[in-house]
Parts: sequence; structure tokens; C-alpha cells
Amino acid sequence: MNRKNRYFIVIDVLLILLTVLPILGAIVLKVLTTPQTEGISITGALIYFTIPMPIQDLPITAAQINSWLVILSILGLCLYLTHGLDVKRCTKRQHIAEWIVETCRHLVEDSMGPFFSGYAPFIASILALSAFSSLLSLFGLYPPTSDINVVGGWALLTFILITYYKLKGGFGNYLKGFTEPIFIMAPLNVLGEIATPVSMAFRHYGNVLSGSVIAVLVAAALQGLSSLLLGWLPGFLGEIPLFQIGIPAVLSAYFDVFSGCMQAYIFAMLTMLNVSGAFPEELYQKRMQKKQMKKAKA
Amino acid sequence: MQTLDIISVNLWQILISLLNLVLLFLIVKKFLFKPVKNTLEKRQKEIDERYTAAHTAEAEAEQSRAAWEEKLSGAEKEAASILQSATDHAKFRGDQMILEARERADGIVRAAQAEAELERKKATDEIKKQIVEVSGALSEKMLDREINMDDHRNLIDSFLEKIGDENE
Repeated sequence: MNRKNRYFIVIDVLLILLTVLPILGAIVLKVLTTPQTEGISITGALIYFTIPMPIQDLPITAAQINSWLVILSILGLCLYLTHGLDVKRCTKRQHIAEWIVETCRHLVEDSMGPFFSGYAPFIASILALSAFSSLLSLFGLYPPTSDINVVGGWALLTFILITYYKLKGGFGNYLKGFTEPIFIMAPLNVLGEIATPVSMAFRHYGNVLSGSVIAVLVAAALQGLSSLLLGWLPGFLGEIPLFQIGIPAVLSAYFDVFSGCMQAYIFAMLTMLNVSGAFPEELYQKRMQKKQMKKAKA
Repeated sequence: MQTLDIISVNLWQILISLLNLVLLFLIVKKFLFKPVKNTLEKRQKEIDERYTAAHTAEAEAEQSRAAWEEKLSGAEKEAASILQSATDHAKFRGDQMILEARERADGIVRAAQAEAELERKKATDEIKKQIVEVSGALSEKMLDREINMDDHRNLIDSFLEKIGDENE
């Protein structure tokens, strides 16, 4: 019993390390590689190295590394939460794990319907990846969600899902859908189809990026203000940017925490609505019935 | 070290990000949802089993309670019938006894009457015998002397008077 307990605790500690270490590693990497810059600089992610690829070279950037580390961290968290699940003994972490699962399932079933109940893990992973990625900026790391490519990939996946479910109503019906209400609207409808993932990607990316841009601008402005007002103090006292203490934290609470979680929720919500809205249930059922009839005949 | 531009679209990065999301989906599904779902299902199953067991036990208890109640009411009925039959029996016995007693009393009275009758008869017989004896004695006396009617009558009267005196 005691030995089992010890093993349990050791595995727990390992899983917590698996959760925390990627973030610490990202911080260390950031500290080691960030170049010293003078003044304000608003740039994209750092490029660590570039892999030559057929169409376009693939740069491995801080955004990529950070999103992989986030995935690793979430993996650790999942394993930690589900470690030692028991039917009878209810620990705090089991409550949390059950709460997450139940909440996601209810959310998905409420907004997508029972047909899509298998989407709960997908929505949960979107929420987790988006929120944790955005929250990385709390540690001063580059949030992967402020890279258009990262969010674009998720939006592309959503687009693929939307198209997949639209095709479930039959390919002819899918093409016919573009000519409604009249034939001339076809180009606009195609544009609208493409606009969905693009708008989703840009909304998420723009919100997170603008948050960091504003944070940088405000920090620079406060530095300027403090050197302007307190510059007359003798010696190094004048060089301390006093106004930079505290005020950026409030902004960070909004832009990083609130906005990050909000955007994650919005992205997940839009994914759910678009995917479930794309599914033509009546047409699908008709097709299934036809197929069954054919099978019965054959 | 170089940095990316703020907006720089890279197909490979988009693809990698897409695969990242798919990978995370698989991770979350396998390592979070599956075990939790299994646990919840197991718990639900256990709860269902407990409920079924409880229902069965309840039904059994109800059944045995009904059986006992039935038995109890049967016993009550039996007791009542026993009491009833005992009462009936006692009443019957009492009536019988009263009847017997009355009969016996009647018998006694009848016997007494019969005895009294017998006694009376005996007395009459005795009287008759005495009368016969007396008349015998009288006739003896009359045979000794001459009898005239008047004497005879007087004699009988006096005799009867004498008897009456004696009887009184």
C-alpha cells in the first residue's frame, strides 16, 4: 500500500513536471534567444531556423515551438487529471476532469445537437489550445495565436469540416447551394464560403496581436512619460520608469487573460455553429433512406 | 536572429498548425475524455446496479410484509372463530344444562306428586280398612243383640263422630 502510494506520488510529480517544464523551457529559450533591442519593435515570431521545402521554405519560429510546448503541457495536464481515476473515491482533480468533460459535452450538445456529440473532445482541444496559447503571453512568451499561420490552420480545419458536412447532403446539392437564391449570386456565395474561415482566423489572430501591440505601445509611452516627468531626478533615479509599474499589469489582465479566453470561446463557438449549421440534416436523412432502399432491393 | 513579418502567410506552417490541432484533439480524446467517460459510465452502471438491488429488496420486503399481514389477519380470524365456537358451545351447554335441570325438577315434582297420591291412596285404603274393621266390630256387636234402625243409626253416627273427634 505504502509502496503503491509512493509510486503514485512519483508519477504525479512526473506528470506535473511534464505540465510545467514545457512552459519553463519556453521561457528559458526566449531568454536565451531574444536579441537585445532598442526602443519599440513590433515584429512577428522569432525564426530559429529554416527548413527548405518544395513550395515555400518552412521557418521554424517561436510560434511553432510554443504551440508544440503548449500541446505537450496540455498532454501532461490531461494525464495528471486522469491519473488515479476511481469510481468511488472522488479527488479534487477527478472533479475537475469530470467537470471539464461534462461541461464540454453539454456545451457541444446544446449548440450542435446530439448528432455531433462526438465533437466534445475536438471543441475542448480548440478551447484548450487557443486559451493556453494566448495565456502564454502572461509569461512574456510569444503567443502562437498572434501568428496568422497558427490560427489559419485551425480555421482551415474548420473549413474542411464545414465542407465535409455540406457534402454529406450530396455533391449535387452542395453545388446547387451556391446558386441560391439566384444564379448570379454564385461568385458571392463562393466568396462567402471562403470568408468564413478567413474571418475566423483574422478575428482571433487580430485580437491577440492587437493586445500585444497595445501592450508594447503603452509600455513605451509610459517609459517616455516617466522619463519626461521624473527625468530631473539626480543620477539613476531618473532612469527608473516608475510609471511602468502596475499599469501594464491591468492592461495585461484584459488583453491576455480576458481577451485570450474570450477569443478561444468565440473561436470554439463559431466552429460549432458553422459546422453544425453546414449539416443539411433532412437531405442527409433522405439520402440515407434512398441508400437503404437500394440495399433492400439488392 | 531574424523575425517574421507581422503578417506572413506560410502554407507549411498552416498545415503544421492544422495537424497540431488534430494531434491535440487525439490527445484530449484519448487521455482525458476516454478515461473520464469510462469512469462515469462505470459509476453509472454501479449506481444502476445498486438501484436495481434496492428495488428488488424493497419488492421482497413488501412481499413478505404482505404475506405476514395475510397470516396475521388469518390468525385474527381464526381466533375470532375459535372464540365464537367456544361461546356457541358454552351457550349450548348452558341451555342444555338448564333444560336438564328443569326436566329433573319436573321429574322431582312429578315424583313428589305421585308419592303424595300414593300416600293419599294409602290413607284412603287405611281408612277404608278401618271402616271395614269398625263395621266388622259393629256387626259383631249387632249380632250380639237385637238391632233396631234407630239404634243402628245412632251407633254409626256416634262412631263417625268419634272418628271425627279422633281425626281432629
